[in-house]
This record gives sequence, structure tokens and C-alpha cells, in this order.
Amino acid sequence: MAKLWAIIKREYLERVRSKWFLIATFFGPIFFSAIIIVPAWLASRSKATSDVYNTTILDATGTNFGHRLAVNIAGDSTNPLPAVRVVEPSELTKAESVAVHEVMRKEHTGYIVVNQQTLAGESARYAGSNATSIADMAQLKAAIRQTILASRLEGVGLNDEKMRQITFIPLDFSTERITERGRAGSGMASVLFGFAIGFLLYLSIVIYGQTIMSGVLEEKTTRVAEVVMSSVPTDTLLAGKVLGVGAVGLTQQIIWIGTTYVLLKLRAPIMAKLGAPTMNFSLPDISLMAGILFLLFFLLGFIFYSSLYAAVGSSVNSESEARQAASPLMIMIVSTGVFIQPVLLNPTGTTAKVLSLIPISSPIIMPIRMAVTGVPPLELAASLFFLAIGCLAALWLASRIYRVGLLMYGKRPTMKEMARWVSYSR
Amino acid sequence: MTEYAIDIVNVTKRYAEHTAVRDLTLRVPTGSVYGLLGPNGAGKTTTIRMILNIIAPDKGAIHIFGRSSNDPKITQRLGYLPEERGLYRKMQVRRVLKFLAELKGVNGTDAEKRIDEWLERLSLKTAEKDWGLAKIDELSRGMQQKVQFIGTLLHDPDLVILDEPFSGLDPINAQALKDTVVELKRRGKTVIFSTHLMDNAERLCDSVCIIARGEKVLDGTVTDVKEEHGQRNVALALEGDGMAGVAAILRDNTLVSRADDSNRFFEIEMAPGADPQMLLKRIVDSGASIQRFEMIQPSLHQIFLQKVGAAGVEEGMSGHG
Repeated sequence: MAKLWAIIKREYLERVRSKWFLIATFFGPIFFSAIIIVPAWLASRSKATSDVYNTTILDATGTNFGHRLAVNIAGDSTNPLPAVRVVEPSELTKAESVAVHEVMRKEHTGYIVVNQQTLAGESARYAGSNATSIADMAQLKAAIRQTILASRLEGVGLNDEKMRQITFIPLDFSTERITERGRAGSGMASVLFGFAIGFLLYLSIVIYGQTIMSGVLEEKTTRVAEVVMSSVPTDTLLAGKVLGVGAVGLTQQIIWIGTTYVLLKLRAPIMAKLGAPTMNFSLPDISLMAGILFLLFFLLGFIFYSSLYAAVGSSVNSESEARQAASPLMIMIVSTGVFIQPVLLNPTGTTAKVLSLIPISSPIIMPIRMAVTGVPPLELAASLFFLAIGCLAALWLASRIYRVGLLMYGKRPTMKEMARWVSYSR
Repeated sequence: MTEYAIDIVNVTKRYAEHTAVRDLTLRVPTGSVYGLLGPNGAGKTTTIRMILNIIAPDKGAIHIFGRSSNDPKITQRLGYLPEERGLYRKMQVRRVLKFLAELKGVNGTDAEKRIDEWLERLSLKTAEKDWGLAKIDELSRGMQQKVQFIGTLLHDPDLVILDEPFSGLDPINAQALKDTVVELKRRGKTVIFSTHLMDNAERLCDSVCIIARGEKVLDGTVTDVKEEHGQRNVALALEGDGMAGVAAILRDNTLVSRADDSNRFFEIEMAPGADPQMLLKRIVDSGASIQRFEMIQPSLHQIFLQKVGAAGVEEGMSGHG
């Protein structure tokens, strides 16, 4: 037991002390917050930016349409009012060319031309540097529509006050998702959360699996393995490595999740700094039970893959051989990764159900499903059961390959030879 | 204290392609320096790995200090230096050593104290520089070898097993190793090492075992082995000319069964029944100028060549042997 502890301690401390760990642990939360904040920020871009206020209105209608439009674009009195230039229809070409140059000198973002056709509700024109911004254009278009409507209402004899009452529609359209268990908060947040969980598990299995593999390979090529094996049984060595590196992964995830949580709590000031309106989503509530299940899936999935990675590391003699030999494992993980999005979109479909029973994919797929939808306890139990069996099988296979592979130098073994290793007594 | 540090009885280890060790029986007396000699692929490393319980024999039994070799307590009394050496490259020297000590059941405080002693003894820790705080890959090769050697001995093992300890050592480290082996023996420890360098074995070992193709060829104390192989050897040194005539005499196999030619020095094994005086007479008659003519015990090198021969070396089995 003391020896197992010594191995776990070495694996853990040496890795936690490494520069790589510090960098990854530090940048992780920034990265994960970015995953959550950037889409929100982009979503906020779908609300028009302040660019629309910096528009020049070239009014060739001969009415006060331009001024009214300016007020409608500004929306409320806190926003700046776009400039209005009243021009004769015959001088419109000249005025436009002036406006173009102003835009080119970045004095304005763009200009709107309104004329008789606009009053008739037929056409209006915009030219500017933000012409590709769908949100900005939608806002301008809405403002023009509103102004036309106002003009018409005025035509039938409504006064200013009435007119404003009728046309003022400050609509805020929010969305919410409903699951089998009822309302689940913002749909966007839940999908993002599911994605974050899946991505985190995927990432740590790949990273720490490879870490174990190169650790085993280093011990083999430096022959440290022989010295260690002369002191402890190989199963203890394997267990110590898997547990030690697993603890490193867990430490990192706890730091990641903890700081990401704090960053998201502080997202209001951060978003304000970015100039984006605060996102209105609540983080999904995670029950203690769900937390424990996430942890369990992480640990079992980690044991499953890392023991297989250890077996690969023990059977080869160089990093390049290891990369090749690990490709079946990589394919297993990547093909699971491919299903993350489909499962997010349809977490109760057959694909999702089947994938959460197979030990190869269940450690990633099942937590995603748990994050975005309610999973029946029976399915959870079945998934854990098969995963646990998968883990035992992987450990058994890995320990047999490991203890032979570590002592075999020279050419890379064929699958047939490795199968024979499994049958060796010791 | 049991009589034998290592007691191997009828041990066989088979791999799919070949039998690495066949029906091997050997006993290493406690407190002796023991040489396991043999060509590459003879089964030395397999034997050592079985002694260390890294691999298990298919047949037979191995006892270390009277206990079965798979007794977990016994590993703490063993120190092992593998043939090809290396350590965790990115790890600090002290931490590597402490880790190795902990695997042998030494507690942290003890380990720290011993590490200091050893680092100072092998001048890895001086007033100017403490290499103990450096990472392994900042050390020169020679220093890394020292660190590994410390790692082998840190827990003060009763049985030290060295696999090809002299390969890759510079002369200074090689001498330090020999001194340490002598020192270990003086303190009553048992040392077993494998080598194919007969000179080192002959000078250091109390007893030897020669194995080839997985089988024991001979074993016993160096004195016994030499005596058994008789006083039938002649050391001959010549000076000046007359080599051609002597070469012809040495090819006469009624007189000489084998001559190890080192240009001006020959170790000659007399043919059965041949008279050394006759050989001396013929060399004198040939006109060669004799510097030395002496009846000697055969060297281990001679015995090895005689017993194993070139045929004992199988190709491409290094590392599995």
C-alpha cells in the first residue's frame, strides 16, 4: 500500500509541478468561459450595434420624414440622434457622393436615402460599411417601416402622441426550453452546458490518456520500469499510474469548473466591459446526485481509456510507434466526439441511447445527455453497469499486455504476438 | 543468516520462440561476489529477472535468503541495476532517489539523510554545486550513472544485482564501481553481476557460473573452476623476431590444442598428454627469443572460450536473454 502510494504521489506531484499543467490549468477557465461567453456575445451582436446611430439620413422627401426616422432609429432619448440632411431630389447625386467620402473617411458608418418612393412605401436605400450586418440592417429597416407607418397614420389625422403610442413596440423575445421534467431554464444555456461537459470529458480522456501512454513509454525506454518492477508488482505500478494521473485530471477539472463557475458568475461585469448587454441565462442547477454521477462517469471513462493507453505505451519502443499503435484508441474517441453534436440535438433518440450503453462512448455521451435532458434511472444504471464491465475488461487486458510489453524490446509486436502475451502467465 | 543468498533449483523459462533458461540450478553463497557469465542471449537477463521476481519461472523454484522469491518482503533486501540505464529525465535527482527509496520501504526522513550522504560520497554534492537539485537531464552521462548507482544501494540491500554493470562506464566510474563491490563484500553483502567481460569477473568474483543457450556450462568458486581446468596452460611471451617459426609450432595439434594469440603474448592450452617441456624445447630450437614461459592456471577467458566457444552465441537474442 505504501508503495502504491509512492507511485501515485510521484505521478501526481511530477505532473502537477510541470509547466504544462500550470499553463493548461490557467488558460482552461478562460477558454471555457470564452466558449460560453463568445456565443452569447455573438448572439448579442444579433441586436443592432451603436453603428446605426452614426448614420446620415439624406432626406429628399420634402417632408419631415428624415427627422422622424432619426428619432425612430435612436429609439430612446439616451442614444445619439443620426444626422439628417435635407436635399433637393436634383442634388441627391452630389449629396450621395459627399456622404460616400464621409463614410470612406470613417466620419459616418453609412447613409440612408429616403425619397418619394419611400413615402409610398416602395423603396429606400442604405450604403455603408456595416451593410453586411444583418442586425443593423434589420433595425434600420424596422425604423423606416415604423416611420412610413407613422406618416400614413398622420395622413389619416392622428396626432403625434397617439401615433407614437400605436407604433411603439419594444418587443423582447426570450426563449426557454421545456423537457420531460418541466421548464429547464434557457435552452441555449443547457445546450452549452452539455457541450462543455462533453468537451471537457473528451479533452481530458485524450490528453491524460496520451499522458499515461508517454509516461509508460518513458519508463520502458529508460528501463526505470525494470527497477520499479523489481520493487512492486506490475499491477500495482499500473494502478498507481492510472490513479495518479487520474487525480491530476480531476484536480485540473475541479480548478477548471470552479473558476469557470466564478467567471460566469462575474459575467455581467465582464460582458459590460466587452460592450455587450448582459446575457440573461441562468446556469442549470446541478443536483449533488448528478454531480456524483458526472464524477463516476469521468473516473470510469478515464480508467477505461487510460489503462488501454498504458497497454499501448508498454508495447512500443518510441513516440512515433506509440502514435501509430494508439490510433485505434484515437479512432474510438474521435468517433465518439463526432456524435456529441447529434446527441446534443436529439438527446433522447436511438443513437444517443445506444451510444450511452457502449463503454467506448458512454463516458462522454451519457453525461451530455444528463446535462441536456432527463435520463431514466434504468438507462443510467445500465450505462454504468456496462461501463464498469468494460473497465474491468480493459484493466485485465491492459495489465497482461503491460507486464509483458514492458520487458520486450526490439520490434513492435504484431496483434498476434500481443494476443499471445495476454495468455502468458508472467 | 542463511547459507545461500540465492538458491535456484531446476528453473526453466520458455518463451514462444525459444527456451530462455533450461533446467538451471545455481547457488550463490551469502556474502560472496558472484559472476554470471555468458555470451549475449545466454539467458543472463532472464535469470536475473526471475531472481527479482519480475518474471516467474515456468518450472522450478527460486529462494532468496531462504524465502520464496515472490515473497513481497524480500524485494526490500534486493538492489537492482538494470543493464541499460536511464531515469526519469525531467525529474529532480533528489526526488528520483527518494521515490526509488520509498519503493523499497525506506521512509522519507531516512531517505533524505541517506541521499545527502551518498551525493556527498560520490561528489555530486559539493560546496559549490548540489547536483541533487538539478534535473536528471541536466547531468552528464557519468553523473547519471552515479545517480542510478545510488538508487540501487540507497536502501542498503543485502543482495545487490548488477546486470552488465561495466557496460558504458568510463574508467573512473568503473573503478568506483569495483571499489564499491569490494566495500559491499567487506560489509557482508552479497553481490551478483552478469558480464561478458572475463577480466573483471576474474578479478572481482569469488564464484562464477557460466551459462550459454540457457543452460549452465559450469559453476563454482573461481579457484575451483581454474583448478578443475588444470595446470595445462602455458603463458608465453616473445621478443624480437622468430614469430613465424613459433606460429608453426603452435599449429601442431599433437602438442597444442588451443592458442590464444595476442601478438607477442600467447595463452596456450596443451593438447591432452602433450609435454610442456617438449613445447619449450621446440620454441627454443626455432630460435625465438623467449621472455616468459610459465605454467599457469587458465584464465576465465580461456575457460569461457573453451567451454562455450563461438557457437554459444546466438544472434539477435539480446534483451530477451
